[in-house]
Formats: sequence, C-alpha cells, structure tokens
Amino acid sequence: MSSNAMALQVEGLEKSFGTVHALRGLDLAVPTGQVTGFLGPNGSGKTTTIRILLGLLRSDGGRATLLGGDPWTDAVALHRRIAYVPGDVTLWPNLTGGQAIDILCRLSGPLDPARKKAMLDRFELDPTKKARTYSKGNRQKVALVAALASDAELLLLDEPTSGLDPLMEAAFTESIREVKADGRSVLLSSHIFSEVERLADRVTIIRDGVTVESGTIAELRHLTRTQVTTVLDGGTDGLATLAGVHDLTVVDGRVTFAVDDAELPHVLSAVAALHPRILEANPPSLEALFLRHYGDELAALSGGSQR
Amino acid sequence: MTATVRASEAAPATPQHVASTLAGTGPMVRFVVRRNRVRLAVWFVVLVGMFAYIATYYKELFPTQQSLDDFAALSDTPGIRALTGLSAAADTLGGAVWTKGWMTIALSLAIGVAFLVTRNGRADEEVGRTELLRSRMLGVHAYSAASWLVQGLLCVAVGLGIAALSAANGLDPAGTGVAGSFVLGASVAGVGLFGLGVGAVAGQVASTSRGANALASAVIIGFYVVRMIGDLGSGALTWASPIGWGEYMQPYAGNRWWPFVLLLVLAGVLLAVATRIESTRDHGAGLRAERPGPAGAPQRLASPLGLGLRLQRGPILGWSIAVVLAGLLFGSIIDAMTTLLDDAGGGADDLLRGSGVQALLALLAGMIALVTAIFATQQAVSLRTEEASGIIEPQLAGAVSRTSWTLQRLAIPVVGSAVLLLVGGGLLGAVYGSVVGDSSQAATMAGAALVYWPAVMVLVGVAVALFGWLPRLAVPLTWGLLAAMWFAAMLGDVFGLPQWLLDGLPFSAVPYLPLEPMSWTPVAVLTFLACALVWTGIDRFSRRDVQPG
Repeated sequence: MSSNAMALQVEGLEKSFGTVHALRGLDLAVPTGQVTGFLGPNGSGKTTTIRILLGLLRSDGGRATLLGGDPWTDAVALHRRIAYVPGDVTLWPNLTGGQAIDILCRLSGPLDPARKKAMLDRFELDPTKKARTYSKGNRQKVALVAALASDAELLLLDEPTSGLDPLMEAAFTESIREVKADGRSVLLSSHIFSEVERLADRVTIIRDGVTVESGTIAELRHLTRTQVTTVLDGGTDGLATLAGVHDLTVVDGRVTFAVDDAELPHVLSAVAALHPRILEANPPSLEALFLRHYGDELAALSGGSQR
Repeated sequence: MTATVRASEAAPATPQHVASTLAGTGPMVRFVVRRNRVRLAVWFVVLVGMFAYIATYYKELFPTQQSLDDFAALSDTPGIRALTGLSAAADTLGGAVWTKGWMTIALSLAIGVAFLVTRNGRADEEVGRTELLRSRMLGVHAYSAASWLVQGLLCVAVGLGIAALSAANGLDPAGTGVAGSFVLGASVAGVGLFGLGVGAVAGQVASTSRGANALASAVIIGFYVVRMIGDLGSGALTWASPIGWGEYMQPYAGNRWWPFVLLLVLAGVLLAVATRIESTRDHGAGLRAERPGPAGAPQRLASPLGLGLRLQRGPILGWSIAVVLAGLLFGSIIDAMTTLLDDAGGGADDLLRGSGVQALLALLAGMIALVTAIFATQQAVSLRTEEASGIIEPQLAGAVSRTSWTLQRLAIPVVGSAVLLLVGGGLLGAVYGSVVGDSSQAATMAGAALVYWPAVMVLVGVAVALFGWLPRLAVPLTWGLLAAMWFAAMLGDVFGLPQWLLDGLPFSAVPYLPLEPMSWTPVAVLTFLACALVWTGIDRFSRRDVQPG
C-alpha cells in the first residue's frame, strides 16, 4: 500500500531492553482517516510501540513508517503533524493545567484558542489550577485537551480514557468521531473493549510483542463464535457432535453452547428441528475474541484444565 | 480535586487527643530505620570516619609541641577563620584537629539531617505515600515524630562516636581528662539537632520537597555565612548564628557547655513550631494555600529555553540572590581585616596559597565560583531529572529535536554561571574598591571570578556526559563527583592524595587571580574539556532511548 493510504504502518517491529524482548516482530497499521484499536494485556508492548513511533525509543529491527516518514530520523518534522496522549500523564507540578495545554500545543504548532476553549468546556476542566492539585482524571484531561485542540493528522492515544468518568468517556467518544469526520487518523490503545468496538474501524490485538490478530471489526467477528442459550423441548440429540458446536452444557434444561460463525446456518436449522422454546444468541464481542487469545493464560490462572 | 485527608475534626478549635496524634509512632520508628538504614549508616561512617582519619593523621604529623606551635601560627589567617573558624587552643593536638575538621563535619551533619527529614516527610507527602500510611491507625504527628527521633539519634550517635574517638586518640590536653572530647561530641550533635529543627520547620512550611530542601539549606548556609562574618570581625555576629554557638563551645580550650543548652532549646522550639504547623494544616498543603494561576501560557514558554527558565525560576532567583549577597558581604569585610592580615605574618597557608589582601580576594572569588558551580550543576542535572520524571516525553513529542532541547536547556547554566560570576566578582570588587578608593577593583575581581567559568563548565560537561551515557546513575554520580572534588580540595592533604591530582581538579587548575598572574593554558584546556564532555553527552543522548525512572 502506498504511504498516503496508510497514516501509520509498522512491520516486524522488534525491541529489546537488555534480556527482555518487548517486541518480537509486531505488525500494525492505521489507514488514513480511520481509527485503529490497539488491544493487548498489560506489558504486551503497546506503550513500547507507541514510544518507538514517537521517536523516544529506537527500534532494534523491523520497519515503522509514520505519515510517510521515519519516526526516529524525521521525529521533529513528524511531531508537527501528530498529537500524543500518554496513559500516565506527568505534568509540571507548579504550572497550571492551562499553561501546560498551551505549552504542549505550541511545541507542535500554533495554538487555536477557540478550539482550546471548546475542549476545556467539553471536558469541564478548570485551567487555572496548579497541576499538582489535579486528580489522575484531570491530568488525563489536560493531555486530551492539548491533543484534541490541535490540527494533528494522526493522534497516538495510549489508554487515553484511564481515570475518566463515564460522562467524560462520552465526551471523548464524541471528540474522536469528530476527528474521524475531519479525515484524520487515530491509533487508540485501550483496555476498554466497548470503547474500541464503538470507535474503531480496525483492531490489532497483540500479545508478548507479537500481533496475534488484525483486521476490521467485521472480519474479526468471523473468527470467533456466537454464544447460544436455548431451552429445547426435543432434547439435545446429536447437537453436541454437530460440526461447529463447542462446549455444550445442559443445566436445568437450559442448553448453552458456542457456534463457529461459519456453521451458524446448519446449526440453527438443527436447533429448529428440536423445538426450541427460548433462543438467545449473543454475537461475538471483542472481549470474547480477546479472551480466546488469552484463554490459556486465564486457564493457567484459574488452575483449570479447559483451553 | 486535591486529595485532602484529614482526621475527623472539623476545625482546629476541636483538637485531636494528644495521645492519638502520636498513635503508631513505634512501628513508624522501625519503618524509618528500615527505609533509611543505608543512608543512616553512610552518614555515620563518613562523618565519624572523617574525624578518625584527621585525628590519627594529625597525631602522626605533629609529634612535638614545636610542630603544633608552628601549625597554630600558620593557621591563624583570615582564610581559616572565615572557612572553619580557629580553635582557641590551636596549639594543641585537639585544637588542630578541631580547626581542620569541626566545621566540615558539623555543617555536613546539619545539612544531611535536614535532607533526611525532608526525605521522610515532605517528599513522601508530596508524592502521596504518606496518604496511604495516614489511612491506617496513625496519628497526625506519628510519622514526623518517628523521623525526627531517628535523625536526632543519628546526631547523638555521631556526637558520641566523635567524642569516643577523640578520647581514644588522646586529643584532650594533658590534665583535662576527657571533658574536651565530650564537649566536642556535644557541639557536633548540637549543630546537627539545629539542622534537624530547621529541616522539620522547612518541611512544614514548603509544599514541595525541593522547596523544603532549598529553604533548609539556605537557612543553614546563611547562618554559616553570618558566623563567617562574625569570626572575621569582632565576633558579635558569631553569636547570632547557631553554628557560631557550636563553635564557641571550644572543646579543649573553653570547654563551654552552656551554648549546647542554647542549641538544644533552639532545636526544641523549632520542633515545637513544626508540630504546631502540622497539627493545623491540611495534609499535602504547605503554609500558603494554592492559588489559581493563569489559564494559558504565552508563546515564549513553548520553547525548551523559555520553559526551562520558567520551571527553574525559583532556583535561578535563589542562587542569584545568594551570589549578590555573597559579593556584597565579602566585599564589605575585606578592608576590616587588613589589620588582622598585617598581624598574621608572612607564613604561607595551604588554603590561601599565600597571605595578604590579594590572597584573601582570590579565596573569596573562589567561593563565589563554588556557589556558581552548585547552581550550574543543579541546572545541568535537571536534564536527567526531567527525563526520569517522564516530563521530557511530551516535550520531545512536540516538534523539538533532542539536540535543540538539550542545548537550549544548557544555555541556562552556561550563560547563567558567566553572569553570576561577573556579578558576584564585580560586586565584591566594587564594594571593596569603594572602601579602599580603588575603582579598578570591580573589573579586576569580575575577571578573577569569571576565570572560573571554564572550570564550572567542566562540571556541567560531566553532568551532560553522564546524562548521555549513564542516565540512571547520572544524578548521584554528578553530585558525588562534585562532593568528592570539594572534599579533595578541603581535606586532600590529610588523606594523602597525590599533588598532581589535587592540582588537576578543575577548580585548582584555574589561575588564582588576583594573587597569581593570568595563565591561559589551563583556561584553554578546561574549555576544550568542557566542550568535549558536552558534545559527547548530547551526541549520545540523541542516539539512545529515552529512559524514564
């Protein structure tokens, strides 16, 4: 793909800290004008990737292209065109929030006072308070206002809503939709599945520094299973052995099982033949997809034998 | 909102029960000891060890009364009086050891204890650790009381250790028992307890640990300068300084105990004041409430230089005031000492590297350079502290290259120290010149101070090189090197360090103006060295990862 179709493209990225391999061949892409969700558990390499994209760390291997440039050698020129929100915002304790916002904006380009004002209102932030008196959520708001008040072509957001209350999360959602409507691009690293499902066009899931799943949300849904719960008058004869049916259990007459999306038509006609009284089908969520990839870790944690 | 944790009372009108304000002090004492065991041990070993070394070395160096008499005569110079004070029994072994080591040890203990108090008080409160502790069954004063108790015991232990060593080495003049040894130990412990009180109050008044440390060291160093002027003059001002009280205890000579009582009372009053403030203020707050600030920042703050100047405003102002005051004070006392100098005779002295007004002028120019060096080092070290705190990342995420960021931030120590040296030396010369009617002194002394600029830049270069190559160790190593150079200059002869090393230290290599003639070679070498160190540091920083924490 040409560079102007991709705001950000990473291939085979590697990074070690001493003996720790933080990234081992990570792939990631943000098409121009789209929002890419970036999911992974703590310590999987999300922040390391973003810090490489900012030119704060130097990669040991692989390729990263940011707005057509190299994040390390072209850092200064690229930083005029991007905005960054860290997951853990550190501010100058003796400056006010408003001063910090202006300084951050002006380090990348001219300040738009009207946009700053609009964002301060939207996120209900008092800019005259000293940063040391801010709570975690308010520090997060300072970084968000500074990023959203800019004209950046690409926003790199590292767990941007950590510490925000639900109202502010809604304000954040609205802001990202506006960014997208402007044709600007967003990399959204997050733990919150609903947020990513709501906002992202594409999702990349990583684990131990490697991409394990990547694609549009619709594509990824096909990779997982629909959860079906039903009460059958005709018994469960043959259902458990049907192709595409997994983990069938019967508790007090309620039958629960998972179905591969590809086999859904066959399975449903088999269920229909068994006279279902109640039928509930939950579409695959990002969370289910995520859990499937980390399922063995969960199993290990609970000491169980299921995979 | 700011995290404000208060015990159940609504207003100071209903105070908490006195006993409950100290609940949990016992476990906190163990906690403070555990958390500071290395620091406590290092302070004890360094201070007591320094005394042990000086005592055994001088015992060997001055085996006869004649050699002690010679040393006493040599020591009676304005320089010695100014820096360390002079023992009234300078012709005894104990007096010689006291003259060499007492001021350094007592002053180090006072400042060290004040820093330890901040570390276990305001610093923890600032980052929110104390909040977690206070959510448990812990009285308002428990943590502070535990910390003060432990640091107070450190003072007592250092005092006892020094007293024991003094007695063991037989420093007391014959026929006086060991009274002098105990007066000596008490005088060191007393000055340490004064530092404890100052640190405790500073930790209650200032709302940041940096502010608390700055306030405490400014007060302690201020009183050091007050006694310096007192010792050079009539001695009246010495009484205005608690460090002077410790000095006037005069072990081996006067053996006065009552100034020790003064020190204890002062420490008690300061701790009472700190306790009073702590019982009425909000957790996390200082004496002054946080006020709203500007809602925006002008363009000039958005450059690394502009932001650096704003962030370092406090230290820049503080050090400028210190240098201006030093220039004015030093300049005004020189002439008053001319008679003293005439009486001192022509004996050459290690510290002054000569005698007479010229030597004193050169020494004072060097002291202004030392103050400037601390300022410059602090500014250079802030490169790493900003990286460690993570505050550098949003700046580098802006359109600023690392080289540009570093160079702009370095402009503050580079230009700042040149200005401080010129101003400090110039004021010293101008005031002295106005007294003796020689208007050329301003320019002469400005030059005498400015010649230290390359040496100060070498220290900046060391800080930058360490910042580039060993970021995680840069801060302690830089300060450690500065402290090592200071000790080598003060005590290098005692520790038997080779002369080439002592002469090669940046500050010793500088031509000793106006006593010695100007020499360009060391200036050129130091400038080159400084440039090379800065260059390698910046080059490395622009190639390496940004490493927070």
